[in-house]
Amino acid sequence: MFASKFAVASLSRGALFPTCRRSWLPSALISRRGYAEVYNRAKPHMNIGTIGHVDHGKTTLTAAITKILSEQGGAKFTDYAQIDRAPEEKARGITINSSHVEYETETRHYGHIDCPGHADYIKNMITGAAQMDGAIIVVSATDGQMPQTREHLLLARQVGIKRLVVFINKVDMISDPEMLELVDMEMRDLLTQYNFDGENTPIVMGSALAALEGRDDATGASKIKELVAACDAWLELPPRDLEKPFCLPVEDVFSISGRGTVATGRVERGVASKGTEVEIIGLGDKIKTTLTGIEMFHKELDRAEAGDNLGVLLRGLKREQLSRGHLIIAPGSMKAVKKFQAQVYVLTKDEGGRYTPFMANYRPQLFMRTADVTVGLTFPPGTENAEEKMVMPGDNVELICDLGFDLGCEVGTRFTLREGGKTIGTGIVTKILETV
Amino acid sequence: MWHRSWAVSACSLRCYSTKTPIKLVAELRKLTEVSIVKAREALEASNNDVNAALKWLDKDLAASGAKRAAKVQDRHAGEGLIAVSLLSPGAGGRSALRAAMVELNCETDFVGRNDLFGQLAADIAHTAAFMSEQADFQNYPVDVLNDTPLLSARHLNPDPSTTVSRAIRDLISKVGENVVLKRAMTVFQEPSPNSKEGHRLISYLHGSVNDPMQGRIGVLGLLKLSSPQSIFQSTSSRENLERLERALARQIAGFETRSIHSDSQDETALYQQPFMIAGDLSGKPVGEALAAWSTTHGLDQSALGVERFVKWAVGEPNEEL
Repeated sequence: MFASKFAVASLSRGALFPTCRRSWLPSALISRRGYAEVYNRAKPHMNIGTIGHVDHGKTTLTAAITKILSEQGGAKFTDYAQIDRAPEEKARGITINSSHVEYETETRHYGHIDCPGHADYIKNMITGAAQMDGAIIVVSATDGQMPQTREHLLLARQVGIKRLVVFINKVDMISDPEMLELVDMEMRDLLTQYNFDGENTPIVMGSALAALEGRDDATGASKIKELVAACDAWLELPPRDLEKPFCLPVEDVFSISGRGTVATGRVERGVASKGTEVEIIGLGDKIKTTLTGIEMFHKELDRAEAGDNLGVLLRGLKREQLSRGHLIIAPGSMKAVKKFQAQVYVLTKDEGGRYTPFMANYRPQLFMRTADVTVGLTFPPGTENAEEKMVMPGDNVELICDLGFDLGCEVGTRFTLREGGKTIGTGIVTKILETV
Repeated sequence: MWHRSWAVSACSLRCYSTKTPIKLVAELRKLTEVSIVKAREALEASNNDVNAALKWLDKDLAASGAKRAAKVQDRHAGEGLIAVSLLSPGAGGRSALRAAMVELNCETDFVGRNDLFGQLAADIAHTAAFMSEQADFQNYPVDVLNDTPLLSARHLNPDPSTTVSRAIRDLISKVGENVVLKRAMTVFQEPSPNSKEGHRLISYLHGSVNDPMQGRIGVLGLLKLSSPQSIFQSTSSRENLERLERALARQIAGFETRSIHSDSQDETALYQQPFMIAGDLSGKPVGEALAAWSTTHGLDQSALGVERFVKWAVGEPNEEL
């Protein structure tokens, strides 16, 4: 009975909020319900990026990886020209195309992106257009690390990448193994200096060009295989949505006579079954209760899983106690937050954002999952001359967000900022500062 | 292969341990940030003497830097920095004005965010400001500036043989990207002979990474003020003026500002824009706010006025001033 209502609600929600970046997951799960046999995508997915100097062979390396893996049936060979279509994409305003190159190893499925610039990548990360869970730093053996290699590592740090793999390219142009040792040594020093695990980070030395041209197996193809194996072994998979604690953002609340209060929404992550204890947090509340029923498409269900659009019946709860914006979560798995720090991209007027800049104490509306509250924006402590600092459309900026009402969130939660019906910015939580 | 054989022969002839050159290469790289291959070549040519290698590199960079610069010169350099050097903003309202703004481009913002690049941009701005003669917000010819010895605000004794273009080439050989000095403009005015009227330079840079005088958008403007003494006599009114100046320059940068005055309600004209400043003047049209500020500081209504400004953004098409 409530199913049709929440279907409408979820539609509008889908239009407002960027969908989960691994959208194949929910659809695969939903279809499992209808069919006896479903395609089982056993390999976990991970997004990986290449970062490096323009001449150090990122594109060649990417092409070489697809070539070598295509020989094992794990990729479609994507040649240099297909990957390097940056000029047209730049002209169309696309800086990073995340769905562009993909490949599979024995244990994983990778989405591969190139990272052409700092600001471009940060923007794409915040808006959810591209994401790196791990990265390959590409350095040429002839040059060694360059001054801007520091900026490459700083970017990786800033976007929360904890582990890297280094590929030293063009080793066929250096005949002295000692020189390669030096490149290796310097790279480990630099990694350590920027708080990466310099000692244990895999550094693979090879020639992407040799692999691509099918010569010198020892520096070519076999090194690409080694690199891929290093990625499999060293880079950590992000936790899958199903394995995370249960979270259901409330979209709508109904009172059904004879049954009780029902909350509808789309399960963001995790699983829960009938009888599971849950906690309702956000908007000043913290209520413990139990799921007494789960219903989807007018059918009773035993289990709610990430991606499901459903309604849940909650024990002993009055309709007035629950509203859109609350989170139904596994008890204790998330905190209700009043204040956090975030990385925010401010939309330009061409993107539908503001025409004019703003300064500290700007108060737009903050939309997070199904909630919307007012937010006061200030600059992080230590910002020089904060009372005179200006934020312009197009800027990436760290901001302190002081919420009018507390909301359940954690590091990595995305949100948008809106004012007068316009989306003016989009952000990602980077640090929790004050919980309720 | 010849690297190898040389290392072996050096070893046998001079009894160098094979590790020594590597350490020296590392040391030389720390000192100069040149590429591994180049560092090694320098040491080979100078009997593993680091000082001699530095000299060799210096000489070699002139030639090889030019080669590398030629290799990358056709590549598009659309990132980078605007840098302003404000040598004399018109202290006391009456002293000379001396400043410059330059745009230095590179290919990626990774390089644009690097210290080496930022320092060079700062030095070039400093050089342009220092070398400028009588100039009224004029373009300083880039080819002239390129041949000028690079002066630095950080090093008191610059190397007279290093010109701006040479320094750019050196940077190219370190970062391997095309680096181009796109444009420069300078201001130089003698102290005002008239004690009743003075000028101040205002500036703001948006999107700074390391240095507040560098950013992706740069503004340099000229503020006229009459009876400057009365303002500069008291510290509080001087500080108020400085706050107002920063707000004005920020306003020009932040809003789409194309002119100063306009008769209609054109918000691309500075004086029509709602003023973005903390306090009583917030939200008033800038023109009115300036008049109000003057009145509250005991001056004539028209005592303050923005006379002109230049606003640049990194990577925008080069317009004549």
